[in-house]
Amino acid sequence: MATSEPRVVGKSLPRMDGAGKVTGTAVYAADFALPGMLVGKVFRSTEPHARIVRLDTARARALPGVRAVMTAADVPDVRYGGALKDETVFARGKVRYVGQPVAAVAATTREAAEAALAAIEVVYAPLPAVLDLDAALAPGAPLIHEEWASYTAIPILHRDGNVCNRARIVVGDVERGFEEADRIFEHRFRTGMVHQGYTEPRAAVAAWDSSGQVTVWSNTQLPFEVQNTLAEILQMAPSKIRVVVPGIGGGFGGKLRVGVEHFAAFLAKATGRPVKVITTSEEELTAAYPRQGTVVELKTGVTKDGRITAKAGRIWFDTGAFAGSGPGVASVATLVLAGPYKIPNLHLEGFAVYTNKTNCGSFRAPSGPQANFAVESQIDIIADALGLDPLELRLKNIVREGDEGPTGQVLNAVGLEECLRKAAAAIAWNDRRPARWRGKGLACGWWTTTGGSSGVYVKINPDGTVALNTGAAEIGTAALTGAAQVLAEELGVDLADINVVSADTFSTPFDFGAQGSRTAFAVGNACRAAVDDLKRRVFALAAAQLGVEPEACRLADKHVLADGKRISLADLARLSQQTGGGLIAQGTFIAPPTAYDSKRVDGHVYPAFHSPSFHAHAVDLSIDPETGDVTIHKYVVAQDVGFAMNPTYIEGQIEGGVAQGLGQALSEEIVYENGRVLNPNLTDYKMPTTLDMPRVETILVQHPSLVGPYGAKGVGEPPNIEPPAAVANAVASATALRLTSLPITAEHIALALRDAGT
Amino acid sequence: MSKLALTLTINGERHEILTEPHRTLLDVLRTDLGLTGTKENCLEAECGVCTVLLDGAAVNACILLAAQCQGRSVLTIEGLARDGELHPLQRAFIDHGAVQCGYCIPGMILSAQAYLDEHPSPTEDDVRAALAGNLCRCTGYQKIAEAVLAVARDRAAGR
Repeated sequence: MATSEPRVVGKSLPRMDGAGKVTGTAVYAADFALPGMLVGKVFRSTEPHARIVRLDTARARALPGVRAVMTAADVPDVRYGGALKDETVFARGKVRYVGQPVAAVAATTREAAEAALAAIEVVYAPLPAVLDLDAALAPGAPLIHEEWASYTAIPILHRDGNVCNRARIVVGDVERGFEEADRIFEHRFRTGMVHQGYTEPRAAVAAWDSSGQVTVWSNTQLPFEVQNTLAEILQMAPSKIRVVVPGIGGGFGGKLRVGVEHFAAFLAKATGRPVKVITTSEEELTAAYPRQGTVVELKTGVTKDGRITAKAGRIWFDTGAFAGSGPGVASVATLVLAGPYKIPNLHLEGFAVYTNKTNCGSFRAPSGPQANFAVESQIDIIADALGLDPLELRLKNIVREGDEGPTGQVLNAVGLEECLRKAAAAIAWNDRRPARWRGKGLACGWWTTTGGSSGVYVKINPDGTVALNTGAAEIGTAALTGAAQVLAEELGVDLADINVVSADTFSTPFDFGAQGSRTAFAVGNACRAAVDDLKRRVFALAAAQLGVEPEACRLADKHVLADGKRISLADLARLSQQTGGGLIAQGTFIAPPTAYDSKRVDGHVYPAFHSPSFHAHAVDLSIDPETGDVTIHKYVVAQDVGFAMNPTYIEGQIEGGVAQGLGQALSEEIVYENGRVLNPNLTDYKMPTTLDMPRVETILVQHPSLVGPYGAKGVGEPPNIEPPAAVANAVASATALRLTSLPITAEHIALALRDAGT
Repeated sequence: MSKLALTLTINGERHEILTEPHRTLLDVLRTDLGLTGTKENCLEAECGVCTVLLDGAAVNACILLAAQCQGRSVLTIEGLARDGELHPLQRAFIDHGAVQCGYCIPGMILSAQAYLDEHPSPTEDDVRAALAGNLCRCTGYQKIAEAVLAVARDRAAGR
C-alpha cells in the first residue's frame, strides 16, 4: 500500500462511465440489437394455482410473422435454482402463480408476438391456492410442491412441505435469559412485498453461431452465475455459453439470477435468429424477483435499567412459488434479528415459505429492512415502556470493539457508537418532540460485506494507459470507478489513464458478481494483488534498464523510480512487448473466512457477516393529522464505511438507498388480492419521486476494516436497511401511535389516528 | 397496414420516415433510427425515461405517435452536446455525481433543459416539481437537483 498521502483513493473523482451515460451513447442491454433480431414474449399464467388441462399453440404458430412458439414440451425437463433447485423454464403440469411462464413466442415484430400470445389457448383446472403465510403454514395446507422432498438442495437446508428452509441461531439459554429479565416484550410485525424498481427492464438478446455456441447479452448483475444456470437449463457445457453485460440500468439484486436470458436462448435456437426479450412493467410487478413480504415475532427480555437479557425471534418470508433467494435470505435475517446488540441468550429463526405468489429474490440488503424494522421498532417500544431515552437504551446494549457477534465472530472496526451519537446530534435529538404532530426517530443496524472471489487482469499499454479487465459488472454504484481508483493509486498513475473492460464470461476473469456490497471491496483488493504481481515484472525490467537493484525500485508518477533514475511505464511496456509479450498481470482476491461458532447455527447459509459495517439513521418528521401525510424535515445517515474510497458516490449510495428505504417505509407495496397483483404499474406501485424525497445528510464515519482496500467496507446495501424503522419510530414520537406494518401509508396513519380517537 | 410518409426534424436534421400509423415516436427513434439514448421502460408515460423535447417541450416519446410529430422538431439526448462539447447540464450531472446507473439520465436532462429554458432562476422546490415525472431509482434525486440548480445559477451569471 502506498505510504505517501493518497492521490487517487479517497477523492471525489468523476465516474469513468459518466460521459457515455449523459450523452446517450452508453449501450444498455435494453438498447442492444442485432440484424435480423426477433422479438420474444412470454405467455404467463393467469391462475395462482391450477392444473393445466389443455395447452394449444397451433393457432399462434400459424399467425403471420410468428417464428416459434415454445412450451415445457420443447425444453429439457430440468429443475434449476440456487440453494434449492425447484424452478422450471415453463410450467409443467400445473401453474403455481399468476405470471408464471407457460409458453414463449418469437415473432418478427412486437405486434406479431403479442398477437401470438393472444392466440395461445390454455384451459386450467383451479387448485386451492395458498395466498399468504398463515395459509401456507396451516396444518394440512395444500402443498405448492407436492414433490418437494425429491428436489436437489444444498444439504444444510431444513425443509418441510411449504417451508423451503428454516435457519436458526441459538446462543446461551433463552428461557433462563427471560427469567433474568424484569420485563418481557412480545410484538408482531408485518412488511409488504416490494420491487427493486430499476428503471431499465430486464432484457436479453441471444444469438447462436454455427459452432453451437450461444452468446447472451444481458443486464444481469451476475454473468458467471447466469452462464452456469443457462448451462443447467440448456443442458450444455458452460464453455459454450458466453454471457456479456453491455450495461445495466439498475439492479438492486433484482437482476442477479436468470430472468429472461433462457427464453431468449431457447427462442433463438428454435428460430435460428437472434431473439430479444425485454420485460414490461406488468411483468416486473407480477413475475420478477421482489423483496419478500414478512411476518416477524419478537420476544425480548430486559432488566429495568435497560439491559437486554434474552431475545427470541422468528421471521417468516413469503418467498412465493419457488425458493428463489429465500433459503439464504431467511438465514441472513437471523443475524439482523440479533441486531448490533450484545445479548447473551438468543433463539432466532428464519423461515422461507412457499405461497402461490411470484418467486421472490434478493433486493438490496436482503432481509435487512424487514428484520431491522421489527428489531428497531421494538427497541423504541421498550425504551418508552421503561422510561428510557431510545438512544440511551441503544448505547447501553450495542456492540463495541472486540465484542462477539451473535454467532461468535469477533467484531472489529465497530463504529456504531460514533454513528449513533453523530446521527442523533444532527437532528437535535435532545428535543425529540419539538412541536405537536412532529417527532424524531432513530434506528441503527449492521450489515455484511459479501465475500466471494474476484479476479482481474491488468495490462500496461505501450502508451502508458492501463487496461483493467474484470468479470464484475458496473451496475451504477461506481464500484468499478472505486476499484480503478485503487489500481491508479497503487500503480502510480491517474484514474484517467485507466480503461475498464468488464463482465464477459469468455474474456474476463471470474468474479462473484455485483452483489452484496462487494464490488469495490473485492475488485479493489484484486487490483492490489495484480499490482504486486506487476511490480515484480516491472521492477525486474526497470532494474536491468537502469542498472539498479529491483528492491530499490518504486512506482510513482507513471514511472519506475530508483536511485535518482527513472523510466516510464510506457517505455517499459514497449520494451516488454518487444521482448516478452507485454506487461500483463493477474490479481485475485477472496475474502478470508470469518471465524464463527458452528455449534450456534443450524440450517444456516450465511453464519457470519464479513467485514461488517455499522450505521445509524435519524429522521425528523411531521404528520398531518387530517390526511396522515408525512413530511420529512430532515433525514440523516451516519454510516461507518471504513474508508471513503470516493465520497461523492458513497453519498450517492446513501441518498439512493434512503430513497428506496423510504419507499418501502411509506408508499411501496405489491398488493395481492386472491393471488393477483392489484397494482402492476408504475402509477399504482408508488416509488418516491423528486417531490417525495427529502434532502439526506450524510455523515461518513471511518473505522478502517482489516480486509478491505485502504480499510473500506461494503457501502451499497446498508442505507436501504434502517429507513422503515427510523420512520416508524419518528411517527410514534409524533403521534404516540405505534404502526407495526409496512408500508406506513398516509391512509394507515390517518385510519390509526381515527381509531385512536385523536 | 399502409404506411405514412413523415418528415421530422430530429436533432436538427431532416428525416423522411415511412412508418405504420400506430407506431410511437419512441419506437421510431430507437428501432428505425438507432437513437437508443432515448430509453424505454414502462411504455405508459409513468417513468419518464423516454423524455424528449418536441418543439422545445418535454414529452414522453412512448405515448406519442410518430405521426403526431409530422413537420415538427424533436431533440433527443444525442442532439444536446454541440461540437463535441458536453452541454452544461451534461457536464453538471457528471460533476455533481448525479449519474449512477444512468438509465433515467437522458430523460432527466431533457426535462431539466425544457424547464430551465422557460424558468431561468428556479428554487430547488421548482426544480423538483419540474422533474417529478422522471423516476430515478438510484440517486434519491438530491445530486440531480443540485446539478440542475448549479446550471441555472451559471446561466443567470452569464457563464
